[in-house]
Amino acid sequence: MTSTPSVLSARHLAKTYANGHRALIDVSLEVQRGEVVVIMGPSGSGKSTLIRTFNGLESLDGGHLDVLGLPLDADGDPRMVQRIRRRVGMVFQQFNLFPHLTILDNLTLAPIWVQHRSRREATERAMALLERVGISEQAEKYPAQLSGGQQQRVAIARALAMSPELMLFDEPTSALDPERVKEVLETIRSLATQGMTMVVVTHEVGFAREVADRVVFMDEGKIVEINHPSRFFTAPTEERSRLFLSRIL
Amino acid sequence: MASMMRSRLLALRKGLFGSWWDGLITVALMAILLLALRAAAQWALKDADWSVVSTNLPLYLLGSFPPEEQWRPLSWMVTLLLLTLATALMPLWRITCPGAISSLLAKLLPAAWILSIPAGLLLLAGGLGLAPVATRSWGGLCLTLILTLMSGVLALPIGIALAVGRWSGLPLIRGVCSLYIELMRAIPLLSVLFFGQLLIPLFLPAHLEVNRVMRAVLALAWFAAAYVAEDVRGGLQAIPRTQQEAAEALGLSLQQVLGLVLLPQALRIALPSLANQAVGLLQNSTLLAMLGLVELLGISRSLLANPLFIGRYLEVYAFLAVVYWLLCTLMSLLARSLEHHLRTA
Repeated sequence: MTSTPSVLSARHLAKTYANGHRALIDVSLEVQRGEVVVIMGPSGSGKSTLIRTFNGLESLDGGHLDVLGLPLDADGDPRMVQRIRRRVGMVFQQFNLFPHLTILDNLTLAPIWVQHRSRREATERAMALLERVGISEQAEKYPAQLSGGQQQRVAIARALAMSPELMLFDEPTSALDPERVKEVLETIRSLATQGMTMVVVTHEVGFAREVADRVVFMDEGKIVEINHPSRFFTAPTEERSRLFLSRIL
Repeated sequence: MASMMRSRLLALRKGLFGSWWDGLITVALMAILLLALRAAAQWALKDADWSVVSTNLPLYLLGSFPPEEQWRPLSWMVTLLLLTLATALMPLWRITCPGAISSLLAKLLPAAWILSIPAGLLLLAGGLGLAPVATRSWGGLCLTLILTLMSGVLALPIGIALAVGRWSGLPLIRGVCSLYIELMRAIPLLSVLFFGQLLIPLFLPAHLEVNRVMRAVLALAWFAAAYVAEDVRGGLQAIPRTQQEAAEALGLSLQQVLGLVLLPQALRIALPSLANQAVGLLQNSTLLAMLGLVELLGISRSLLANPLFIGRYLEVYAFLAVVYWLLCTLMSLLARSLEHHLRTA
């Protein structure tokens, strides 16, 4: 172990779906504390599968995965998965707020039941977080009463309520109206400036350019290129990356 | 307002008398309806002899409950009625009453409902200083109510457990639950009730006697549980898988995911069909008349066997129909009020 162990260390990850589709092929990646890693790639390239293995939502068929120093391997212990999930926040494309709970209860659910905080403490923290993402006045409403952008900011606050050491974003702006994308990206960007370690799957080039410390480009289940954003978007080393960029830029 | 009335009337006219052919059908149907209504009114007000109902109202209400103890089932039923009214009128008092009182009432109501069943059992059976009353003296509406309520309250948790078992990934539990649900749904209720009356005593040691009412409740509950399970499973399946993922990603255990995120949503989705099951349960309880329990139908049958009231079939069954219609209406009101409450909450 080095003096600053990686927050996340993936070596030779492999995953094949039941239908024979090889979603991940020999994927290796290290994420250091405070780093923002953006994963890009065409749809079906395995980027969502990869980020979902980082908190055990997808199981692995091979390779070694350490998250926050805990092993999350193919034959992992289910209790280990739970220990990791308590320290890793995740934000989904479709927000996935709990529709039967108020915004406030969405935020306090896990702190109360998983971290065993008092309701008062959890509520105070939740209100502070809602303040931070700019929706404190909606605390008593239900998710369906909020816009997509607001819901996604609540989802970010819900993940932050567990004081995670690593945040995973799985296409956080793909389901949003174009004019709502900015407010969500702003929220994620402000997290980055506060030093949160993050892995972000996204198609937002502008965001990747400004916020990412490294860009990971994936295609057909493999990592094609890992590069600094300034180099990746102007002079990618791989032909496949160049082709992809020529289509989206 | 006036223009709305006008447009409604216009729509009605167009629907009923749109063409001369429509008009003819309307007039003919109206005539038949009027004739039928007149005949029914004629029978109900003139020809019918309602003495079979009016002289036996206490019997219909309480069966042969000992007269000096009749305040017990009566007060229980009055409480149930008050609870029903309070719940059905919830949308009204939620708006009109001041916030503090209204939220206190909203908190007290569920507790009162839950307490009403053990309280009813205590009042009927006796104990804690109340003189014991054997179940063979229970009867009428009061027996119908306790049968329906108790079997419903038992069927709900059993059904939820079966649904969760069938939903779970554990092959053995899943298989057992599926087998139970499919088997129970393939057997007619009447045979389940016969099994309950005849077999439960066989399985139990001789000194442990379960009375007839409890055997009926158990049989009804285990039967209804299979149907409840299917409704709850439908609710579970209607929830997107991503809800479970989001809950798991927060570090909740599987039990917490189920109890805090999935089941509350599934039960809301299943509520209309569960209310349907409750009405079905009320009506199915009449089958117990075949097994000698004198609930509403049983009382009616024994009255019709009495030489004093011989041949009064129409009166008795018309009265029964109205009573069951009233009970079912109250139950639907309850269900609708609950749905409304959950939708706004």
